[in-house]
Amino acid sequence: MNAVVLPVLPPLLAALALLVLRRGGAVLALAGVTSSLAGSLWLLARVADGQAATLLLPGLPEMPLRLVAGPLSAVLAVAVATVGTFVLIYSVGYMKRESGLVRFYAMMSLFLAAMQALVLAGDWVLLLAAWELIGLCSYLLIGFWFQRPEAANAAGRAFLYTRSADLGLYVAVFLLIRSTGTSEIAASLEAGGSASTAAGLLLLLAAMGKSAQVPLQDWLMRAMAGPTPVSALLHSATLVAAGAILLIRSFPLLTPEALLAVGVVGGVTTVAAGVIALAESDLKRLLAASTASQYGLMLIAVGAGVPLAALLHLLAHAAIKSSLFLAAGDFQHARGGTGFDRLEGVGRARPWAFAGFALAALALAGIPPLSGFFSKDAVIASALSAHGVAWLGPLVLAGTLLTGTYMARALRLLWQGSGETGAVAGSAWMGVGIWGLVVPAAALGLAFGPIEAILDLPAREAEGTGVVLLGLIAAVAGLALGWLVSAPRLLGPVYPWAQRGFAVGGGLTAWVGRPAMAVARGCERLEDRLYAAVLGVGRGGLIIARGGERLEQGLYSAVLGFGPINLAVAHLVRVGDERRIDGLIFALVSGVRALGARARTLQSGLIHHSLAISAVATAVALVILFLASLSF
Amino acid sequence: MTAVLIVALLTGAILFGIGVYGALSQTNLVMIMMGVELMLAGAMVNLVAFWRFLHPESYSGQMFVLVVMTVMAVEMAVGFGVAIARFRAIGSVEMEEAEDLKG
Repeated sequence: MNAVVLPVLPPLLAALALLVLRRGGAVLALAGVTSSLAGSLWLLARVADGQAATLLLPGLPEMPLRLVAGPLSAVLAVAVATVGTFVLIYSVGYMKRESGLVRFYAMMSLFLAAMQALVLAGDWVLLLAAWELIGLCSYLLIGFWFQRPEAANAAGRAFLYTRSADLGLYVAVFLLIRSTGTSEIAASLEAGGSASTAAGLLLLLAAMGKSAQVPLQDWLMRAMAGPTPVSALLHSATLVAAGAILLIRSFPLLTPEALLAVGVVGGVTTVAAGVIALAESDLKRLLAASTASQYGLMLIAVGAGVPLAALLHLLAHAAIKSSLFLAAGDFQHARGGTGFDRLEGVGRARPWAFAGFALAALALAGIPPLSGFFSKDAVIASALSAHGVAWLGPLVLAGTLLTGTYMARALRLLWQGSGETGAVAGSAWMGVGIWGLVVPAAALGLAFGPIEAILDLPAREAEGTGVVLLGLIAAVAGLALGWLVSAPRLLGPVYPWAQRGFAVGGGLTAWVGRPAMAVARGCERLEDRLYAAVLGVGRGGLIIARGGERLEQGLYSAVLGFGPINLAVAHLVRVGDERRIDGLIFALVSGVRALGARARTLQSGLIHHSLAISAVATAVALVILFLASLSF
Repeated sequence: MTAVLIVALLTGAILFGIGVYGALSQTNLVMIMMGVELMLAGAMVNLVAFWRFLHPESYSGQMFVLVVMTVMAVEMAVGFGVAIARFRAIGSVEMEEAEDLKG
């Protein structure tokens, strides 16, 4: 079997098995995701040996579906599988008291399979399919508690936001396939000229939707209504990462204009989302805003022309953010909510989870020797060395500062104060899940060297001491600010606005959400009408059927009446037969007989009669011949 | 030459005439058959005369006459067979009394 399918197939099979069996949720899902992890590790080992693997699947005519395991794909597959494994282990504890677990694990497995397919996709068609699948799965997972209106709303909002941005991906893919004539990603990235700029901008739109960049960041905060493992998975290596992954993969395509746009979007997002995070009053929403902010940093790195830095930050962020979320889920169970008013002092009550959270928070802020330090330095260096766009550097530094500030704020709010802490069920599973991710979050920086050696992205320059110092100063200053100064004082007049997520005139909801809802309502009304029409058609059908029944009865009696008529006709026919045809035949017979009788008179039986006739006939014949010979 | 041919043809015609008369006038089956034989003989005399006086170099005429003589012999055999059978069954070969031959 081709090694490329190993990361994709097991979770897919697990999801299918769950759909069929309807039992054994956690066991099947864990089996699927751990085999996926093993498969992707093996794949990475093979790729590191220089054996890239490709699998062609039958797809559209002339466009086979490709699974390609290049260095980038293999590294990302390992990241996805690692996060997925620990999140699922964590879920065993976290979801202990929930019902609908089969649904949960089936969706998680399907989600992971789709994400692996997206990461390993070697052509646009498969990538689109996987992109849609993760969109669908995220909708289902965010709306896992669909009985709660806010969860249902959040799911619909996430779906609408990402869907409307997905249109960019569709148009970009069509543009690329049209201009290069191939659906293979690697080949189609060589499209040059205006098509390339347009496609790059459209891809940016799609990435903005998935990676929750300004102005499409709102859905990410609301998506916190879903279960915490879902948030952890969505925000770290999967759904939100898809946007950044898309841009990193399509980096060769991006023209300077597109790169500038990417940098602008990333810069604006990292600052705006950072400020929003600072103003949030809910731990999970803070983390969500922080995710948007961190992806802003990655976009800046891409825009600065160093996708490698973006990838490193993506990997570090995957481990960090998933462990942060998992720890937040632990606090959530302990206090029955994620608002900071409830979580006051929870850190003292849940020391292990808080230790993990704090370690990951410091890593995210960029404290050495944790992973975030290295990745953030890479991003800062890339932004400072970007030619011609001097303002990227300050934006990145502002983002770093904000990261430190809001993480310190979260730590302070979790540590100070006190509250009632309940017992947490399944905390052993949750502990394993948290620490399984905290360890890579802390130590991943040491593995960056080998990872860089495997990758085939353009190399980056080594950052100088100045850059390291700048990053460190920003991080420490941020942490100190966040720990010492309360958010309202820090933000001043911006605070209430930031709390509303920088909503301008009702925010994007007014511009996108409401029209979309109006369309949806219109569709519903249309559907109602269609339903009524169908009902009407059905009733009409019933009436016609009744008419048909009556007609049938009429036909039946007509048939009954037809019988005697038929008999009468048959009788007439019979009489006709007897009188006419028989008579005709008999007449023929008697005619023949009479003729025979007349012929018999010639046959007297007397020889000389016969002889006489012969003689006369001969004489007649002779006379005729004689006359004939005379006339010629 | 032609005078001799005429004589031969006349002989044949006389023989045929006698034969026709005999076949029609006699009532005895044997006599009728003798008349028929005379008619055939007349026809054969004609054939031989035409061959002998018009195309003596070709033998087809002679051959034809030989075939006809064979047919005559066979016909005689069959005819006398019938006559004997009738004589044995009825005791007479008078054809005036043979109305039962009609089918």
